[in-house]
Amino acid sequence: MRIAFAGNPNSGKTTMYNALTGRSEKVGNWGGVTVGMKEYPIKSEYTGGTEAIAVDLPGAYSMSPFTPEEGITSEYVRDEHPDAIVNIVDATNLSRSLFFTTQLLELGIPVVVALNKDDINQKEGTKIDEKSLSQKLNCPVIKTTATEQKGLKDVIAAAVALNGKSQKAPYLQADIDLHDKNAVDAEDRKRFGYVNDLVKNVEERAVKSSETTKSDKVDAVLTNPIVGIIIFAAVMFGVFWVSQTWLGPLVADWLVGYINIFQEWVASQLEATPLLSTIIADGIVGGVGAVVGFLPLVMIMYFLIALLEDCGYMARVSAVMDPIFKRVGLSGKSVIPIVIGTGCGVPAIMACRTIRDERERRATAMLCTFIPCGAKIPVIALFAGAFFNGAAWVSTVSYFLGLALIFLGALLVKAVTGYKYRKSFFIMEFPKYKVPSLGFAFKSMMERAKAYIIKAATIILICNLVVQLMQTYNWQFQVVEEGMENTSILATIASPFAFLLIPLGFGAWQLAAAAITGFIAKENVVGTLAVCYGLTSFIDTEELALTGGANEVAAAMGLTTVSALAYLFFNLYTPPCFAAIGSMNSEMKSRGWLWSAIGLQLCTGYAVAFLVNQFGTLFTTGSFASGFIPGLIAIALMVLVVVLISRKIRAHFDEEYSLHQAAKASKA
Amino acid sequence: MEENKNLLQADLGVTYNVKKIDTEDPDMNSFLLRLGCYEGEPVTVVSKKKKSCVVVIKEGRYSMDNLLAEAIII
Repeated sequence: MRIAFAGNPNSGKTTMYNALTGRSEKVGNWGGVTVGMKEYPIKSEYTGGTEAIAVDLPGAYSMSPFTPEEGITSEYVRDEHPDAIVNIVDATNLSRSLFFTTQLLELGIPVVVALNKDDINQKEGTKIDEKSLSQKLNCPVIKTTATEQKGLKDVIAAAVALNGKSQKAPYLQADIDLHDKNAVDAEDRKRFGYVNDLVKNVEERAVKSSETTKSDKVDAVLTNPIVGIIIFAAVMFGVFWVSQTWLGPLVADWLVGYINIFQEWVASQLEATPLLSTIIADGIVGGVGAVVGFLPLVMIMYFLIALLEDCGYMARVSAVMDPIFKRVGLSGKSVIPIVIGTGCGVPAIMACRTIRDERERRATAMLCTFIPCGAKIPVIALFAGAFFNGAAWVSTVSYFLGLALIFLGALLVKAVTGYKYRKSFFIMEFPKYKVPSLGFAFKSMMERAKAYIIKAATIILICNLVVQLMQTYNWQFQVVEEGMENTSILATIASPFAFLLIPLGFGAWQLAAAAITGFIAKENVVGTLAVCYGLTSFIDTEELALTGGANEVAAAMGLTTVSALAYLFFNLYTPPCFAAIGSMNSEMKSRGWLWSAIGLQLCTGYAVAFLVNQFGTLFTTGSFASGFIPGLIAIALMVLVVVLISRKIRAHFDEEYSLHQAAKASKA
Repeated sequence: MEENKNLLQADLGVTYNVKKIDTEDPDMNSFLLRLGCYEGEPVTVVSKKKKSCVVVIKEGRYSMDNLLAEAIII
């Protein structure tokens, strides 16, 4: 049987789903974490042997969708005929939640109500008479605390017992024309009237919700337009600093030591066959090892972000950022994809679904990957280590420049699409604060670490192997001789691209090849560089200093510190990996937007790298770097294309607008 | 004193009844209705900022921008 989990946003559906199935789907303390449907069999210890599949759905306030992800839920319960619905009710907000409950009860599918967050109610002294509520709703009502796995067995037992039965609705909406908005709204008011009476009879509250509490005082500070933003910047800086400058590299150093020992051991085993040794020890172990070596940095960041997401802070950040984001044509809710984007771009782009306005949603999906994701951390750490002595400012600048590019990009999108004045409202529920669970953050971190290692052992490994082979052989499939590296397959393919990159300061084919493999997965930039230059202990700058130093890496790559920074920024702000581009495609639902996004990202990466390289070189040496004029021409062409697109859109826009006017006039 | 005020003019911590909601966006009006914010229902403003405020609707707290708060007449 299939059991659908439906309820208001942030009522704990995914927490319950994870507990029942043993999965680790993303959870967080704000409304709209789950934006798609997920299903998985429930553990048999809960079902008593019956085969049952749990279907986790995005949160919804009612059967009438307001944002795209709400539509997934109403469509599923209406059209897919699950065998039972577990309606997770936020018991701390019974009077709002039961509105949706009574709608679910009308579908005829057996419903079990789980009164979740019972622990908070007990703490606050709210009493709910679940027996009486159960009688009135004609369905089982069970108190649960999903975070502590309390009551879950009873919920599933009740759902299993109802398999095959039908549901009698306690409240039926009058037969009305569902297309008549006023009639629907009038019926919704009546439904709320019924719910209000119901709640009066079954609920007793010790504390009135409208009373000012301690958390209101915390909110006042966190959402203060000035202090709140400073706090947010400080918190994010703290996360990046701990994970990438302090604790992360400390653990990574230790890990890299073991990877090196392993690599040497592999090489010694294959000493007899130098070619195989090169391919396996340098190509596979070296390339993958270079990526895995950065794992501690990524893990620590995931852990800290998970803590942030769990405590209830994210909704406050959205609120405090809303006025700023609104000014550039985005929404306060755009903050959430941006913070999720520090982990991975794919879920970040999917999280844009909770943004109601289509233009704001698409623009956010287009821009949120400017924030460096977890896969870009190795790239940042590599360059910070090899060229800047591990300086903390490199990673900080990378993130804050990403944020600045989001703002600038949003302004550009606003200008190009011809901003028409439209009311864009912001409303977001402030969830109750909770002490973040270390166990949950740990689990989430391990889950992501597993995914990272799997990726390194599959995609990255294969790419490194291919890169290694393409570098080892020329087009006649003969091993490339020393000094003839430019004739390898890889070199001949990458060289034309490298030519385009000369104005940016990094015209070497190895660097171009690394940037290209980066589109498959950003970790590949590090993997490919490791393979091409035969270097592994990138992160261990101290060790490099002993063996000739970070300078050796720098010299091998033929980069100055300025062009190294340009190369880093180029890789950070060009289009994300193919997976993220794919998810951009499915969220934007528009070819035009998708290609504009890719084009914008390519131009941004190019322009940022160009400016950093040319002006950086100007400041350090007194003259522009090579290729200044060709680069300038390239940038001018990009600007021209943007202007042309903008003109076209605006002309179209005016046309559409005048059509509207004509239609209105003819109606009148 | 039966003058109509909007939520921005509400006193902090005082519970008012909603008289009218008009955001000029029918879907937004319906969304507020489904949160429990409609004619006759109590609302309380717990804090005000320059561009937004925190409003208690039913048992939940919501941050809304002033544009939306202005459209809620109490």
